[in-house]
Amino acid sequence: MVLDPAHGGTDPGARGTGGIRESEIVLDFAAQVRRALEAQGFQVVQTRQGNENPSFDDRSAIANAQSGAVFVTLHIASTGLPGTARVYINSDLPVTTDAHGLISWDRAQTPFEGLSRKLGDLVQGLLAQRFKGSPSTAQTAAVRQLRTTAAPAIAVEISSVVVENRADLDRMAPGVADAIATGVATFRPSYVVPTTSGGTP
Amino acid sequence: MARWIKWVVGVLCVAVLVGAIYFPILRRRLRAAAKLQQQTAEQARRELTQAVPINPGEPRVKAKLFWASGNSDGMLMDSTVELPLSSDPVLRSKQVLNTLLAGPVDAELRTLPPDAVLLAFYLLPDGTAIADFSEALATATPSGIQSEQLAVDSLTRTLEANVPRVQRLKILIHGQEVETLAGHLDLTGAFLVNSKGSLVAPSTAVVAPVPAPAAPPSADKQVAPETDKPSAAPATKPSARAATPDKGLSKPAQPEKKM
Repeated sequence: MVLDPAHGGTDPGARGTGGIRESEIVLDFAAQVRRALEAQGFQVVQTRQGNENPSFDDRSAIANAQSGAVFVTLHIASTGLPGTARVYINSDLPVTTDAHGLISWDRAQTPFEGLSRKLGDLVQGLLAQRFKGSPSTAQTAAVRQLRTTAAPAIAVEISSVVVENRADLDRMAPGVADAIATGVATFRPSYVVPTTSGGTP
Repeated sequence: MARWIKWVVGVLCVAVLVGAIYFPILRRRLRAAAKLQQQTAEQARRELTQAVPINPGEPRVKAKLFWASGNSDGMLMDSTVELPLSSDPVLRSKQVLNTLLAGPVDAELRTLPPDAVLLAFYLLPDGTAIADFSEALATATPSGIQSEQLAVDSLTRTLEANVPRVQRLKILIHGQEVETLAGHLDLTGAFLVNSKGSLVAPSTAVVAPVPAPAAPPSADKQVAPETDKPSAAPATKPSARAATPDKGLSKPAQPEKKM
């Protein structure tokens, strides 16, 4: 399991009027998600531990270096109904390979999109049970972080930094952690690493 | 107690009383003035950015513009606005995009930052539109997957509804390709605009767009490069990935694959 607390370092991510910074909150969320996943028996790697800001590619590379990894990037939104959570998967693109059957490295997500959809819908369904007003299925979006990730990959975005009190967001962390851990555990048996004729470089 | 102390106390009491009555009135007035100023600032900005070329010859038609639904659910709602739309696809695109940027009557329903300006707009023969926005689009769009997606969706759906020639949309910021809009949404590819599938066969030939310098919107009419007509300018191919067929893509604002 690769957990990615988004932003960090010089990039605070979304900022609320009450001084809430996305980069800080996602770290706290990641710690809770990590504990929930470890309780399910998963080995968890984080793309950042503190206030660093690895590039999109560096974050993806951590998942790409493992075989059979699952990638979850955590975000706090600037907008949306407070107290809801949305799961995004990368937009479905036609699988294209070059003459040697290789997939361009910056389209690494392409062969995993079916799996990402499955995982995304599972996690979104669990989040919808816990947070009323959340959609029932995962949404598609051109999320930059997901495009280069060669693993089932989802983005979880929690609404929002607009809340006046940080505690309103912190209260959501256990539910989010539980939904992700349960979703990944349910997804696990159906996860067969897809192969392309030439493999993914 | 000395008489003068009584006087001083009396005067002070009156002063406190007057203050207690006057201060709330002053505060209300200040608030009203601030609100008025905000409205005039918004109005002034609208007038400045609303560089919709006036075509007295063109009949006013109903344009469909997509702004936020206002339910903070990341959905768009279409509004019909009467505009003297040009029949030329480049001018027409600029008109609808500038109107979209100018924003709806209710500022809450904005999808794009009020300071953002459309600097240039080109249309390649294969239906790929290239829209160049000022930096405010990247710096003032709220950071987040939902908010950034909403901004791009409002652009692509508005173009889809009003300019059938536009098939894909490539977004540039101040003439440059950027990695993301505001930290999340991928701008390295082109977004699909026409969800009904490609009407124009993707051209494999290298056709020359005219890379004109970014022009202020007010001068659009004169400098608008007629990229949809055959051009003799030296060939550069700004978007190689644009020349790809669209397969099985049904939703707007989906990035197209890179070649």
